[in-house]
Amino acid sequence: MQHQFKGHDGLIEVLLEKQGDHWLFNGHTARVKDSRTLSLDLSDGTTGQATVVKVKDAWWVHFQGHTFCLERIEPGTSDGGDEGGLTAPMPGKVLEVLVQTGDVVVAGQALMILEAMKMEHRIVAATDGTISAVHFAAGDQVQQGSALLELVE
Amino acid sequence: MVSKVLVANRGEIACRILRACSEAGLESVAIYASNDADSMFVELATEAIMLEGDSISETYLNQQQILEIASSSGCDAIHPGFGFLSERADFARAVGDSGIQWVGPSPEAIEKMGDKMTARITMRHAGVPVIPGEEIEQEDEGEALRAIEQASSRVGYPLLLKASSGGGGKGMRAVQRPDELLDAAKSARREAVAAFGDGRVYLERLLTGSKHVEIQILADRTGRTIHLGERECSVQRRHQKVFEEAPCATMTEEIRSAMGQAAVAAAQAVNYEGAGTVEFLLAPSGEFFFLEMNTRIQVEHPVTELVTGVDIVREQLRIAAGQPMSCGELHLRGHAIEVRLYAEDASNNFLPAIGPLAVFRPPEGPGIRLDTGVRQGDEVTPNYDPMLAKLIVWAPSREEALQRMRRSLDDFVVLGTTTNLRFLRELCDVPDVITGDTDTTMIDRLWPNGWSPAVPPNFTDGALLVAAAAESAGLNMSLSVSNQMVGDSGPVSPFLTLNRRYP
Repeated sequence: MQHQFKGHDGLIEVLLEKQGDHWLFNGHTARVKDSRTLSLDLSDGTTGQATVVKVKDAWWVHFQGHTFCLERIEPGTSDGGDEGGLTAPMPGKVLEVLVQTGDVVVAGQALMILEAMKMEHRIVAATDGTISAVHFAAGDQVQQGSALLELVE
Repeated sequence: MVSKVLVANRGEIACRILRACSEAGLESVAIYASNDADSMFVELATEAIMLEGDSISETYLNQQQILEIASSSGCDAIHPGFGFLSERADFARAVGDSGIQWVGPSPEAIEKMGDKMTARITMRHAGVPVIPGEEIEQEDEGEALRAIEQASSRVGYPLLLKASSGGGGKGMRAVQRPDELLDAAKSARREAVAAFGDGRVYLERLLTGSKHVEIQILADRTGRTIHLGERECSVQRRHQKVFEEAPCATMTEEIRSAMGQAAVAAAQAVNYEGAGTVEFLLAPSGEFFFLEMNTRIQVEHPVTELVTGVDIVREQLRIAAGQPMSCGELHLRGHAIEVRLYAEDASNNFLPAIGPLAVFRPPEGPGIRLDTGVRQGDEVTPNYDPMLAKLIVWAPSREEALQRMRRSLDDFVVLGTTTNLRFLRELCDVPDVITGDTDTTMIDRLWPNGWSPAVPPNFTDGALLVAAAAESAGLNMSLSVSNQMVGDSGPVSPFLTLNRRYP
């Protein structure tokens, strides 16, 4: 059985093998205990209980003090890669727009200031480039994930 | 006499106070905004009344509405908790004027300590040492900015800009170089206006390498004012505390005694009543300086409760009723550590996170206390502060308390919303935390380019295996359960779990 998850640098493929009630991958073994618990046996001898739950498309996994959020890509959909990354990290309000269309900016430069949860958050340029569009003005409410600005390298 | 207490707060601290009322045999009233109708604190009161309005200013900050509810429901006391109206002198005064007991100090004491510039001046007069700095009295933006610029050369760099009405890191900016001053001052003023309606800021020398140490005090109407020892809260991110402990690992009996006396003097200078906290910066030299006094219960009060055995909230209720505090001579016993669990992405500049608490399973065992206002199935929304819980441990020694905290954090499972659990767990392994050598710049110093988790080899593979196996085995029914619990006040049907999908 094959599953795809979204990783930091592209797709991660998991080719799953089943032997009896054991699931195998890369020398590690897992077994379902109940609807939220799997016992996990890693190839280096680490063993323990993992807690798991699915929220929307993402599987959340807790194992020995570590938490993972693994977004599953449904077969047949695009990989949904991040474009530019200048999106609202939280629902909030635009406090100030520091650039306008056509501005040349450098990596790390503050482009917009948002207020969310009573704190100010700076939206900064990830790379050098030119601002090709500004989608919101000061005072606008933005939803999480809204594209705020466009930056072309 | 106090017999019925309105708790003018929500979440974790409302739960803490409502339970104390129940233990003290007092009736209680919870007030809640409509988006809090399913919150835990609402269930803990003997009566719960919904506030009209949507925004925070129409609900939890709506003095008139809260006063009307207090009167119509027959309350004779209001406990403000922390945040919201807890340090609003005008509210404390209005409460008193309606013949209702305010659980806290007088409006005059709140005013003197609440305006940070006035507090500095009051403390100087009381002989309590303050941080070298300058107050900026100008209210007009242009004039204030000019005065800040002039004062900055006398105060010296690096310096700290602080909102006179500030707190919780809001309206506060560290300025390293002169060319950063104007931007920082404008942004601090803007944040201060938005949060407190008062843009006045003042300058303080930034004392790097210092510890944030605070003294808990209690004062009753018989004239008794005592201190309950110190808490160290140096480990902060974005000027907000994340890791607090009592006692301070490097405290000496001499400094504790001097600091305790200064804190008592600070409280007496404003005729303080109730529970309060005097915050100090403790320099490596052993010198200490007054930072501010918080005229309310504090988030980190549990660590003091665990090492002194005093129930501070219960004492607040007792003092408000005009009774003498019940605690006698105090002895510090063992060590307590608190961490603040936030819904936030520690690997992305501690950005607040939202989502469902699809799994929320706190640790258990001896010496563990959890103060929280949420439970499994709740939704973390952007409406309120992202603090989910305080995990507090007690053990006979500091070393054992750290060991217990590590184990507790490893056992704490929160799924569905990003939290700072792993960040807190890694903090427990930082050499400076192990030795107690923490200062207020530690997090920035350790992770100047931001924190990211150290994941053991194979763990990512293991998690992928678990996710893939869970998907193949069709365990994804839990989503429909958590979705149903969110935003739906009705009971969860057990039959929903039958919506299992077997691909």
